[in-house]
Amino acid sequence: MMQFTETPPQPLHQIVTTPPFSPNLPIMNKNQTHRTRPWPGFPTSSKLTNFGDANCMEQLLVHCANAIETNDATLAQQILWVLNNIAPPDGDSNQRLACAFLRALIARAARSGSLKLLAAMNAAQANLAIHTHKFSVIELAGFIDLTPWHRFGFTAANSVILEAVEGYSVIHIVDLSLTHCMQIPTLVDAIASRQDGLTTPPLLKLTVAGTTEDVPPMLDLSYEELGSKLVNFARSRNIILEFRVIPSSYTDGFANLIEQLRVQNLVYPESGHEALVINCHMMLHYIPEETFQNFEPCSSSSTSITTSSSSLRSMFLKAVRGLDPTVVVVVDEDADLTSNDLVGRLRSAFNYLWIPYDTIDTFLPRGSKQRQWYEADMCWKIENVIAYEGFQRVERLEPKCRWVQRMRSAGFRSVSFGVEAVNEVKAMLDEHAAGWGLKREEEDLVLTWKGHNVVFATAWMLA
Amino acid sequence: MPTDLDNSSTASGEASVSSSGNQTAPAPKPTTKKKRNLPGMPDPDAEVIALSPKTLMATNRFVCEICNKGFQRDQNLQLHRRGHNLPWKLRQRSSKEIKKRVYVCPEASCVHHDPSRALGDLTGIKKHFCRKHGEKKWKCDKCSKKYAVQSDWKAHSKICGTREYKCDCGTLFSRRDSFITHRAFCDALAEESARGPSQTQNVNLNSESDPKVQTVNSPPPAAAAAAAAQASVPSQPTSSSAPSQPAALPIQGSVGVPELPENPPEDAAAVTQRKGHCSSSNSSSSNGSTSSSVFASLFASSTTSGASLQPPAFTDLIRAMGQPDQPTDLAPSSSIEPISLGLSTSHASSIFGSAGQERRQYAPPPQPAMSATALLQKAAQMGAAATNASLFRGFGIVSSSSSSTQQDSMQWNQRQAESDSASIAAGLGLGLPCDGSGWKELMMGSPSMFGPKQTTLDLLGLGMAAGNNPNGGLSALITSIGGGIDVAAAAASFGSGEYSGKDLARSS
Repeated sequence: MMQFTETPPQPLHQIVTTPPFSPNLPIMNKNQTHRTRPWPGFPTSSKLTNFGDANCMEQLLVHCANAIETNDATLAQQILWVLNNIAPPDGDSNQRLACAFLRALIARAARSGSLKLLAAMNAAQANLAIHTHKFSVIELAGFIDLTPWHRFGFTAANSVILEAVEGYSVIHIVDLSLTHCMQIPTLVDAIASRQDGLTTPPLLKLTVAGTTEDVPPMLDLSYEELGSKLVNFARSRNIILEFRVIPSSYTDGFANLIEQLRVQNLVYPESGHEALVINCHMMLHYIPEETFQNFEPCSSSSTSITTSSSSLRSMFLKAVRGLDPTVVVVVDEDADLTSNDLVGRLRSAFNYLWIPYDTIDTFLPRGSKQRQWYEADMCWKIENVIAYEGFQRVERLEPKCRWVQRMRSAGFRSVSFGVEAVNEVKAMLDEHAAGWGLKREEEDLVLTWKGHNVVFATAWMLA
Repeated sequence: MPTDLDNSSTASGEASVSSSGNQTAPAPKPTTKKKRNLPGMPDPDAEVIALSPKTLMATNRFVCEICNKGFQRDQNLQLHRRGHNLPWKLRQRSSKEIKKRVYVCPEASCVHHDPSRALGDLTGIKKHFCRKHGEKKWKCDKCSKKYAVQSDWKAHSKICGTREYKCDCGTLFSRRDSFITHRAFCDALAEESARGPSQTQNVNLNSESDPKVQTVNSPPPAAAAAAAAQASVPSQPTSSSAPSQPAALPIQGSVGVPELPENPPEDAAAVTQRKGHCSSSNSSSSNGSTSSSVFASLFASSTTSGASLQPPAFTDLIRAMGQPDQPTDLAPSSSIEPISLGLSTSHASSIFGSAGQERRQYAPPPQPAMSATALLQKAAQMGAAATNASLFRGFGIVSSSSSSTQQDSMQWNQRQAESDSASIAAGLGLGLPCDGSGWKELMMGSPSMFGPKQTTLDLLGLGMAAGNNPNGGLSALITSIGGGIDVAAAAASFGSGEYSGKDLARSS
C-alpha cells in the first residue's frame, strides 16, 4: 500500500457500490505482509492507474475469493467484472498475473458449484481451460534454457553431485524431476569430462519415476524414448548409461519407486561401490503434505510440522533415508502454497507467482509461442492452487525452512555447496537478465529475482 | 550517389556498361513476385551498372590533383577541393525522380552477374565481390580465420573467443550446457549414431526423411481409420517394401513414403527394437527388421485403436519437427487433409486442418484414442453434464471433417441455435448447467468479438443490471475472458479438441 496511500481503492466504491464491499476492506488489510514488494517499471494505462496496482489487484482477488466462498454471487460477479476490465490477458505482467488468478477463481466458482450462476458458466470455463503445451524434447530443452528457473537447480545440483560421487565406479542417479531428465545431459557430460582417460569411466544408472499424472511442463515423448536418447548421448560421451523407468507417482509418495530401490538394495547388499544419488528437482512438493490425523482442519504451518511425521511427504523422506543415499539434493520453489485457507493461499501464490510473470519480459518477446506456453503453464499452476482442493490440488509448495526441518527430522544433515558450485551458478546467472541473483543461506543456495527468493537448492547426506 | 555513375565512367574511365534495366536486364518473370528479402531481385526499372573488378575494388578513386588525396566519392572530393580554393561543384539532386541503380558482380560465373540478380547498392556488391571472389587477407590473430572484408573481420574479432557450439542440426549455442542438453536430445545425434547401415532403402529413409514433421499426417488417422485400412492390409506387413505401403494406407502415398519408418509408434516392441537398433552394430538386417516392426506396430496400433498405443505414436510423430531446413509447414497438411478425410472417421483430419495454420509441432495430441463417433456417442450419453459444452465445442470443430459425424454435429448446432434464441436467460436463471448463451459465442469463437473495448461496453450495459439479468453480462464477461485467453493461446480451436478429450477422461 505504500506507494498508493493517496489513492486507495476508493474509486472502486464509486463504480461498484455494494454494501458488503467496504466492510470487508479492513479485514483484508490486516495481514498484508508483502507490501514491500517492489514493482519496478510498472506501466499503468492512464485510465486504470488506480486499479493497475498489484496490491489493488490482490485486494480485489481476495474480495472475489471471499465472495465466492461465501456464495455471494452478486458481489463475486461485480468484482469479476472489475477485474476483467483491469486485468486483460494481454496486459502488463501484473495484469496477466491477475488475469490468471481471475480465471482460476472463476474455475473455482464453477467447480464448487456454490454459485449457480457461475456454475452455469462451467461450460464456458471449460473452454477457458488452459492449453498447456506438450513440448517436444527439443522444445523443452530450449525452453528450460531461457531462464535460470530450472538451470539454477541443475547447475547447483550437478556440482554437488559430482563432488559426492567422486571415486565411485557405479553411480546410481534417481532423478525425481519435473523437467523430464533435462538435467541429465549436463551431468553425464560433467562426469565424462572429469575422466582423465586412464581410469575407466563409472557406470551410470539412471532411474526415473514414470509418473502418470500430467503436470506441466508436459513432454510429448515417452520416457522410454527419452531414455534411449540419453543412453545414446551417454555413449557418445563414452559413458555407459542404464536407464530405467519405474512406474510410480507422487500421489502415494513414490511408494513403488522406493520399494524397487529397497529391493535392489537387498539383492545387491555389497553395492558398496555404488553411489546412490537422489536428485529431487521441483518434484517433492507434489507429494501430499497433509497429515493423516487432522486431515480436514487447518494444518497451519506450525501444526503441520509437529505432526509432519505422519505426512506422506515426511514418510517419503524417511524412506529415502532408509536407502542410505550418498547424497540427496532437494531443489524447489521457495513459497508456501499449503494453506488450507483459500485466501491465504491466494495471497501467498499472488506474492510468489508475480515473479515468473515479471521475469518473462526479459527473455521472451510478447506474443511469442514460447511465451504462451510458459504462461499457460503458469495459469495451470495458479488454477491448481486456487480452484482445486484435496488430492487434486497438487501444487503444494513449501518454503525452504520447512523442507530443511523435514530433512533434518528424517535424519539428514545439510551439506554445503562448494566454491565450485557457487562459481558455476554465478557464471550461469551472468548469462541471464540482471535481476537474477544468488544468495547463500547457511549451507544452501537461493536463486533470487530482484532480491526475492525464487528457488532454493539444498544438499543432504546421512546425519 | 547520383554522381557515381558519371564519375565512374568519366573519372576512372573503367565503367563498362551502363544501361537501363529494361533493355539489358530481362525483366524478372512476371509470374514470380518480387521478393525483397531475396538478395538480388532488383526492381526491373532500375538502372543496371556493371563495374570492372578494379573499379569496384578501387578504394579512393577520386583523387585530388593538388595533394593526391583520394576519396571514395566524388562528393567528398568536391568538398575537399574547396579547401584548395579550386572550383568545385556539388551535384544537385536532380528534381526528376532518381533512378534506382543496381549493380552486378563482375565475376561472370556468379549468379549476381546476371542483371536480374543484381544487388541494390554499391557497398553490397563490393562486399559480395570481396567475400566470394576476393582474397581473404584479414586474418584473426586468435583463431587464424581469414576474412576478405575488413568489417567482417572486425565483427569476428569482437566475438572470437566467446565459445560457440553448433549442433549438426544447425542450431547455434553460446553456452556449453545449453548445447549439451540440446545435443543429447537432438535427432541429429541419434541419426549420427544410427547411420552407417548400408541398406539402401532404409538409409535413404533415415537420412532424407528426417522431417518427420510430414509424417505427422499419417498415424492418428491411420490408427483411427483402422478398420477400413486393416481390412486391406496383409496381416504380416513385414515383407512390404515401402512402395507397397500406399496401397494399404493411401495417406502415406500422398505424403511420400519415406517418412513413415522414421517414426515408430512408441510401442514397447518398437522401442526395444529401436534401442537395439541404436546400440547394435546396425547391420542391414537389423535395420530391416526395425522398419518392419515399425510397420507392424503401426498396424497393430491401428487394429486395436487402443488408447495405449495411439497417443505416443502420434506425439512421437509430431515431436519430430526438429530440422529447421525442412520448412514443411503448410503444404503437407493441406495436401493430406482431404485424403485422411476420406479415409477416416476420426477427428484427425480436422486436427490437421487447424494445426496446419500453426505449426504442426504445436498440436497437442488428442488424449484418448477414440474415434470422433465414439466420442460423440459418449457425449450423448453424458447428456446434460456440465462439462459437455466443452465436449461439444470440441466436436463442433472435430466433426466438420468426417461425414459420419457431420450429421451429429449439425444436430448439436441446431440445438444450440435454438437454445440460444429462446431459452438462454431462462436456462441460466434456473441454473441449468448445460445451457447458456455463452455457448454459441464460444462455438463461434471469433476472436474479433473479444476486443476489450467491446467487451467493456457489453459489460457496462449488462453487468450493471446484474441483479436482474446477470446471465448475459456474466456470460459475456466470461466469454470475453475466455476469448482473450483463447486468442492468447492461439491454438484455441485446436486445443479444444484436446480438452474435450480431457474432460471426457475426467468425467468418465
